[in-house]
Amino acid sequence: MHKMWAVIRREFVARVRTKTFVVATVLGPVLLAGLMIAPALLASKGTSGRHIVVLDLGTEQLGRTVETTLQAAFPGDYFIEVHQDDAARGEVVLDSLTQSIGATPESGRRSIDGIVVLDPAEVAQDRVAYYGSNVSNMTDMRALRRGLREALVAERLTELGVDLALVQQASRPFSLSTERVTDGQLTGESGESSFALAYVMAFLLYLALLLYGVQVMSAVIEEKSNRINEVLVSSLRPFELLLGKVIGVGSAGLLQLGIWVGTAMVLTTYRAQIASLFGLPAETILQVPIPTVTPDLMAVFLVFFLLGFFLYAGAYAAVGAMCNSLQETQQASMPVTLTVVVGFLMVFNVLGDPAGTMARAFSLVPLFAPLVVPVRYSLDPLPLSELVLSGLVTLTGAVLVVWVAGRIYRVGILAHGKRPRIKEILNWVKAG
Amino acid sequence: MSSSVIAVDRVTKRYSGHTAVKEFSMDVPEGAVLGLLGPNGAGKTTTIRMIMDIIRPDEGRVRLFDGAGTGRELSARIGFLPEERGLYPKMEVLTQLAFLAEIKGLSRREAIRRGGEWLERLGLGEWAQRKVEDLSKGMQQKVQFISTLMHDPDLVILDEPFSGLDPVNTLAMKDVVVDFARRGKTVVFSTHIMEQAERMCDHIVIIARGEKVVDGTLAGIKAEHGKNHLALEFSSNREAAGAILRDPQLFLSVDDYGASAELQLAPGADPDAVLRSLITAGVGLSRFEIVEPSLQSIFIAKVGGEAMTAAREDNDA
Repeated sequence: MHKMWAVIRREFVARVRTKTFVVATVLGPVLLAGLMIAPALLASKGTSGRHIVVLDLGTEQLGRTVETTLQAAFPGDYFIEVHQDDAARGEVVLDSLTQSIGATPESGRRSIDGIVVLDPAEVAQDRVAYYGSNVSNMTDMRALRRGLREALVAERLTELGVDLALVQQASRPFSLSTERVTDGQLTGESGESSFALAYVMAFLLYLALLLYGVQVMSAVIEEKSNRINEVLVSSLRPFELLLGKVIGVGSAGLLQLGIWVGTAMVLTTYRAQIASLFGLPAETILQVPIPTVTPDLMAVFLVFFLLGFFLYAGAYAAVGAMCNSLQETQQASMPVTLTVVVGFLMVFNVLGDPAGTMARAFSLVPLFAPLVVPVRYSLDPLPLSELVLSGLVTLTGAVLVVWVAGRIYRVGILAHGKRPRIKEILNWVKAG
Repeated sequence: MSSSVIAVDRVTKRYSGHTAVKEFSMDVPEGAVLGLLGPNGAGKTTTIRMIMDIIRPDEGRVRLFDGAGTGRELSARIGFLPEERGLYPKMEVLTQLAFLAEIKGLSRREAIRRGGEWLERLGLGEWAQRKVEDLSKGMQQKVQFISTLMHDPDLVILDEPFSGLDPVNTLAMKDVVVDFARRGKTVVFSTHIMEQAERMCDHIVIIARGEKVVDGTLAGIKAEHGKNHLALEFSSNREAAGAILRDPQLFLSVDDYGASAELQLAPGADPDAVLRSLITAGVGLSRFEIVEPSLQSIFIAKVGGEAMTAAREDNDA
């Protein structure tokens, strides 16, 4: 135990003292703060002074209605201006206006961003045209469509002799609030925020499994290529060495994750204050949904992260033991890396239907459960029996992988030269 | 039989296609300095790895300290310097030494104290806090030596300890090993440099193609080969000796170094007659001595031409 402790500590210190570790640990929170501030900062700047001209070629009322609805539909300071003209002059006016789109001040023209053309003949055929520089801007186009639709519906209803006031009354908006209930208790969490949480968790798990798994692999390769192994295994059982290595890298990983999660919590708690540092109104940033993490979710996350880490770290260590150089591992580790990626892609399926057949099936596959189960749990806590079963299956899988990895490791770390074939590796595993 | 520190009993190790070690036995008595000699690929490293329980023999067994445990279990009592030895390049020298001593069972504090002492002793004191990669190759080898010996083991096993060392470092390391032996510790080292083994060892085991060909005390082995060798050193007119040295009636074998030669006398050949004919031929001699055979010539006699050609298969063991 004393010996393994020495290995764990050496590995931990070696990881933590690398530049990459320090940089990544610091950069994580900085990036997170950036993600929190940037949208609010951009939103507050807004798209200043967009100018849209509604060219009304004789539609009586529609032009005015469109002006009102567009004004309401576009966010920020859009300037909507109605220009009425004869249908006969339509072409000429449109042509002249088109030249103003995106005009520079030097040209002497006033600059506009787009033109909505309301031609009675076209409108009668349910057609409206828009010319603008921002036609690829999804947000703008969505707003434009919404505003026009509202105006046209009102216009048509009036034509049909329906009282608009009645329609407005009948179609007034209502709000649907979603509240998560867990174990018969209100959590005060919205659907949106728990979705975000599930997504963030999945990404964190995926990143951590890959990142720290590969670190174990390069640690194994490092000892191999520096020819340190023989000295080590003359005093340590190879399995002790492997386990010490995995635990050492794992603790460094947990420390890093801990720092990330910890700073994330501090940042979100004080986000109003941080916002004010950037001169932003507190409300804008408080609108970003921040989920709460319950202790049981934390526990599930941690347990499955650890199980997954041991499983994948074992697999990566075995790959490292088979290879002679880092370059070789890049190719040899593909199957392991791809499995993690597949598990991550599964998560998107689970996000859609956390209690579906797919989600339940993948919760019982040790390779995928570490990614799938915490995500499922955050969206829709699975029954305890399923949770325990999944945990046991994953544990069995992890023990099996680590055991096989130990056998490959024992022979592999002392083997140099040509990379072994599958058959040879099977012999390594079988050999007592 | 006195207590043997290492008892190897008919061990055999096969690798796919060939037998690395075949029914090999040896006993290393306490306090012995044993040289395990053999050409490249003879099975020295495989044997040592089996002694250390790094690989298991297919047949036979190894007992250490009268069955006290395996090499790994007894790592606190054994100092092992493998053929493949490396250090963590990014670790500081003293921390590295402390780690290597810790996995042999020393406490961290004790490990750091002893590591510091040893570094001072071998003149590396000011490098203690530097990274291993900043050290020269020779200094790194010293650090490896320290890591092998700093836990004060009762048995030291060194696989090719002097390979790659410059003469100055070889001398320093040799002194350390000799000092250990003087303190009653048991030392086993493998080498293919005969002069070194001859000067340091009291026991010799020669292994060739996985099999033991010679086993005994150095004195015993030499006596067995009799005092039938002639050592010559030439001062002038070396060419005139050529024909005489090539005479099969006089010599069984010639180990010619140019300025000197070691010759094995043929049975019945008279050393006096040799001296007379050399002088008659006008050869200037600065040495003419009847000697015991050198380990080198015993080795060549036993292992023969193989020694020159058996370089293959050394890496897979």
